Amino acid sequence: MSSAGTLHGDAAARDPHTPLPTLDRPDDYLHAQSTLRSWFLTTDHKRIALLYLASITAFFVIGAVAAGFVRLALVVPDGAIMTNDTYNKAFTIHGVVMVWFFLIPSIPATFGNFLIPLMIGAKDLAFPKLNLTSWYIFMTGALFTLVAVVLGGVDTGWTFYAPLSTAFSNTWVLPALIGVTIVGFSSILTGLNFVVTIHTMRAPGMTWFRLPIFVWTHYATSLIFLLATPVITLALILLIAERAFHVGVFDPAYGGDPVLFQHLFWFYSHPAVYIMVLPGMGVISEIVPAFAQKKLFGYRFVAYAAIGLASVTFFVWGHHMFVNGQSDLASLAFSALSFAVAVPSAVKVYNWTATIHKGSLRLDTPMLYAMGYIGLFVLGGLTGLYLATLAINQHIHATYFVVAHFHYIMVGGTVLAFLGGLHFWWPKITGRMYSEPWGRISALFIFIGFNVTFFPQFILGYLGMPRRYATYPPEFQLLNVLSSAGSTILAAGYLFPMVYLVYSLWFGRRASANPWDAKGLEWETASPPPPHNFAGVPQVPKVPYDYPIQAPETGSHHT
Amino acid sequence: MKAQSALALWPPAASATAVETDHIILGFTVLTLLLTVPVFLAITYFALRYRQGEQADRSTDERRSFLIEISWMLIPYVLTLFFFGWGAKLFIASRHPPPDAMVVEAVGRQWMWKFQHPTGQSEINDLHLPVDQPVRIRITSQDVIHALYLPALRLQIAALPDRTTEIWFKADRTGTYRLYCSEYCGTDHSVMDGNLTLMTQAEYQEWLTHGGAQQSNLAAGRVIYESYGCAGCHDGAVVGVKAPSLVGLYGRPVHLADGRTLTADADYIRAKILNPNENRLAGDGEGEGGGQGGGKGSGKGGYKQVMPSFRGVIPADDLDRLVGYLKAYDRVAEGAPR
Amino acid sequence: MSADVTGANPAADPVGVKRAEHFATVGQQRHAATLGMWAWLLTELLLFAGLFLTALILRLLHPEAVQAAAGHLKFWIGATNTVVLLCSSLTMSAAIELSRLGWQRMMVGCLLATASLGALFLMLKGYEYYADYEEHMMPFLARRPYALAEQPATRLFVNLYYVATALHALHLFTGIAILLGITWKASRPGFLQRHQNWIEVYGLYWHFIDLIWIIAFPVLYVVNR
Repeated sequence: MSSAGTLHGDAAARDPHTPLPTLDRPDDYLHAQSTLRSWFLTTDHKRIALLYLASITAFFVIGAVAAGFVRLALVVPDGAIMTNDTYNKAFTIHGVVMVWFFLIPSIPATFGNFLIPLMIGAKDLAFPKLNLTSWYIFMTGALFTLVAVVLGGVDTGWTFYAPLSTAFSNTWVLPALIGVTIVGFSSILTGLNFVVTIHTMRAPGMTWFRLPIFVWTHYATSLIFLLATPVITLALILLIAERAFHVGVFDPAYGGDPVLFQHLFWFYSHPAVYIMVLPGMGVISEIVPAFAQKKLFGYRFVAYAAIGLASVTFFVWGHHMFVNGQSDLASLAFSALSFAVAVPSAVKVYNWTATIHKGSLRLDTPMLYAMGYIGLFVLGGLTGLYLATLAINQHIHATYFVVAHFHYIMVGGTVLAFLGGLHFWWPKITGRMYSEPWGRISALFIFIGFNVTFFPQFILGYLGMPRRYATYPPEFQLLNVLSSAGSTILAAGYLFPMVYLVYSLWFGRRASANPWDAKGLEWETASPPPPHNFAGVPQVPKVPYDYPIQAPETGSHHT
Repeated sequence: MKAQSALALWPPAASATAVETDHIILGFTVLTLLLTVPVFLAITYFALRYRQGEQADRSTDERRSFLIEISWMLIPYVLTLFFFGWGAKLFIASRHPPPDAMVVEAVGRQWMWKFQHPTGQSEINDLHLPVDQPVRIRITSQDVIHALYLPALRLQIAALPDRTTEIWFKADRTGTYRLYCSEYCGTDHSVMDGNLTLMTQAEYQEWLTHGGAQQSNLAAGRVIYESYGCAGCHDGAVVGVKAPSLVGLYGRPVHLADGRTLTADADYIRAKILNPNENRLAGDGEGEGGGQGGGKGSGKGGYKQVMPSFRGVIPADDLDRLVGYLKAYDRVAEGAPR
Repeated sequence: MSADVTGANPAADPVGVKRAEHFATVGQQRHAATLGMWAWLLTELLLFAGLFLTALILRLLHPEAVQAAAGHLKFWIGATNTVVLLCSSLTMSAAIELSRLGWQRMMVGCLLATASLGALFLMLKGYEYYADYEEHMMPFLARRPYALAEQPATRLFVNLYYVATALHALHLFTGIAILLGITWKASRPGFLQRHQNWIEVYGLYWHFIDLIWIIAFPVLYVVNR
């Protein structure tokens, strides 16, 4: 095995642990061109992924600052720190920005965009210009929403329930609605791009059951993008029409029905949470086998579970409406189906656990995030079952229990998966390694901070503290202060990677093509990859997750 | 009247249904722990036992994996279905009130509740009820969607505009508990709370007889003063509107545009609310400004009467409470309860 | 299809597709473009499905009001427009077939005919809206008295009719704009050698706009009479 291979490597023959000899690699995708135009008019999926990474990070910061306002206000029970209106705007903006401008695009638009062509052995997505257009549409939607924030904010909650949002709120609802409507098209086009790419551009030999689970979960997510997003687009168009022209469809004075809005809204928004969950599952499915050096247990089950989740998720939306006046029959059906939708998630969790069993484990930062994900996602998911139980829901609906439940999934799940993926693929994306000790410290801060922030909220919810409350009865203060204190630890945990990851861009150790000894076509090309991904036609392995099943006694990494 | 101390980790249960709901969640928690703790322990154990470099048996047997998959898919699912059924049964029961239930009408509006007892008494934000008696609450909203939440009974139901929804319960434990709005409804969503007081049947009859005198009319009146928008204009919050301040109005002389002077008694106040265009104030329209007792200063050019009529908008008992509040408005401290 | 699969010999074949850099073969490129358009149409179908579902719910909740409102719709304009769009789909199909045959001039003629028929639809629709305005059937105009104000629920149907037809008209307008752009490019020499599949893929979109109207017309105009 020669270590002095050609620049782009004959990847199969080269020792992957030795960095390529020349330090300056001007023809990887990051360095090949450096003008502003080459970035803002790029059609390279890898650069577009970075455009998304930068923008969603910025929106994450905005959403986190809004959350900071919320937790600050809740330190005292009587609302002394800010007016009720300011508080209401803070939680609305937190929700709107985090859901639509961070969580939904986070993993698909960054890692999906970057990795899907690499993982399937293609040179780019099917429609590269459409991909760039998606990002510009995303930024346009964000602009409208930020205009609403700057002009004075929105106070309807991210759920925009009528008639509060259509006839009673006198905040900047219309620009916010327009912004969210626009950003939906970005999702739709990304989903369309992924579906077509996965169907038509797999390398020769890359059959469906050789695809990494990351691709399967993004395929499933893209199906949801395509089928659910148009419905919210319609719901928002009707809401805009109602607010601007008093169309009447949600106004009982004219025979309209505000609950109709809830049906249209949740028909999208429930599958939307699976848009936030499925890609994270894909990330974990890549990290765990790599850090256990063991093939994924039950590959086919996990793949089918992804499709199963994307299907059943369309039939459970009414579980957000058990106490909102819908019929008992509907409530029974939605409850039963919500129990069923937990099954595919459970399948994945058990399979990851079985993958770890008898593996050869390294507990680097990505694996720490993955393990944290599994624990927190399980807790979040099971508390979802509590909420799906009708009699329990009557008590904890619209309380802090729900807030804790979905933060366990979105932060304990999606954000942890995002950070795990960021660290796992950082060397591939940037060609640099991050500081491992700082990675582990941050993971610990995030895990601890997260639990201190959100676990007390389960208790608060069961005690009866409703959500979206600017003021609260004094007996809840202790738990609220505890939660707010936890959020400062969490904030620190978020700040550290922003520093050390950026630091590594200039001062990090250069990464080899495959620093983790991971399987998957993305690791068979240089770090960072060349603009067209592969030097020649990539060789597709016969089996996915072709890890050594038995780690040898000597501790070397090759069978 | 706090129903629980700061360190309580479990809310009080005031009915058998509430207790049963607690049993469901406790049972479900046991099942949850059975399904998850082994996973957490396993992951932690595996992470340490099978760490890279540790000597361990890593041989695997692929043959039984299909069976393993099916079992861990179906067995936990079937077990959880038990709780689906139990929860569904309790839920359905809570939607079918017995025929002898006493009916309370509830109206939610921004940002207050009004409860009307079958004998006609009404209360603002607070609700007094007897135990050991099925109670059916029929609830509607006058504006946006609200929700009535009674944690001690483990129940809540949305209040929808132009529709009536209902819940029923039979409480069995006296005491004072919290009552909330649990559907976000705007600025003062979190202030739309009150007390649910459960009392014995005898105490309840006693309470009814004395016209709900337990409740402070001033507090109720203040809530109405804010909820119908009076505070918005008369406390100076709306830019461009020069509504005269009402502090200390009761009993003071009022100068009218036609030259007469009246005393602002209860009849005057009531009439002004129902028909503000009668007995117009001096300084109205083009006249020189002349404030009334405690009013905003007289500016050049006076101010125009823009107060809407509340006839047909404010029901009689709310009007009584409002007038009662205004009568005491100079004795009430500034910064009255939000 | 007489398209050249590999794109290897454009000079010999007058009709074909020029392979873009990121695709391995022309077949892959064609497949991707067609699949992409179908995926887009699926999302559009869901968008309109929500609207038609709402219309149906209205009919179930307020049957008399819906009937009263629908009585004011201009059935004959709607029917004519249906015929106009059907004809435009015919000319679009003709354009597709001609693109496969390589008959560029006739194809361009058919594309222009399609665009003209679409424009005719929009003109008739505009006239219809004008007539609605004259008859005080625009309840969303707050300052203008509404003809059926004594039956409040009629507003729902009437406003829904505007949302549905305006959304459809928006798609048609955008469709015509894109069609004119494609027609301009398609009239240049060498177009059919490089981009034949554009006509096919665009044709799918045009047929879809037609399909939405074919559903909207009975749902709005016919069923409620």
